[in-house]
Amino acid sequence: MKIMNPPETNDPLDAWLREQDKYIEDNGFTARVIAALPRRPRAWLRPAILLGATTIGSVLAALWLPWGNLPVLDSSALFSLDSQVLMPWVLVLTVMASLVWGTISALEWED
Amino acid sequence: MSFTDTDLIARVLSRGDQHAFGELVRRYQSPVRAFLARMTRGDTHGADDLAQETFLKAWQKLQTYRGGARFSTWLFGIAVNEFRMAGRRRKELAWEEVDESSVEPEEPAAARDCHLRLDLTEALKLLNSNERAAVLLCCQNGLSHEEAAQVLDCPLGTVKTNILRGKEKLRQRLAIAYENYESA
Repeated sequence: MKIMNPPETNDPLDAWLREQDKYIEDNGFTARVIAALPRRPRAWLRPAILLGATTIGSVLAALWLPWGNLPVLDSSALFSLDSQVLMPWVLVLTVMASLVWGTISALEWED
Repeated sequence: MSFTDTDLIARVLSRGDQHAFGELVRRYQSPVRAFLARMTRGDTHGADDLAQETFLKAWQKLQTYRGGARFSTWLFGIAVNEFRMAGRRRKELAWEEVDESSVEPEEPAAARDCHLRLDLTEALKLLNSNERAAVLLCCQNGLSHEEAAQVLDCPLGTVKTNILRGKEKLRQRLAIAYENYESA
């Protein structure tokens, strides 16, 4: 271990104390500590759940969203702010954005 | 390839890697166990139990280690806390207080070969737990006074005073022992 007390290094008592510090053999100590460790929550579990939920959400979105009945979104409809036209698109875009966000979060999960 | 402490800690935190933690335990088991054995006045079994608790606490609290201090300093801080809590749990003063009359010079005549080693164990018994901890951390384990103050959770001046007092007691005790050894 690095000695951090330069003013004391010339003290014979310090030198003698360091001489007395003999290495203690492990003799199974590390194995006992490892055996006694409590289980940590599995690091992969949460991203796996998130990725699974995202996949299920994607399938449901593909099956249930009214892809064939979406109103045409031209510039006049866009600027008219007609809720009959815009709301289905807002719904679709929200679902898609949530799925993309969920996928990215799951893939980038570190802890 | 040898990993740094920082690498190993990162692996433990990100993956719960027990092998990485095992490597940290292997690296630091000797100084932590030796320190606690001296603190418990030679009770090696008790010291090993405390050392095991120290590493278990380190595992549980590793995410609170910020990397500002050396990992060994952080570990010694946990070890000191474990020692203090064990002393309070046991409600006995065998580790904490010093009965100087019980450790007056007694010649280990049958053990001259390891005379000085025995004398250190005996001499350390003259020190109270704060003096012992300060001397062991700074003079034997190489912590700076500032690091020792952090580990012992006390002012820097107190650490310096405890080291001065502790070393003076050690000098007196060891001088007697050495004179007896020379004249034998």
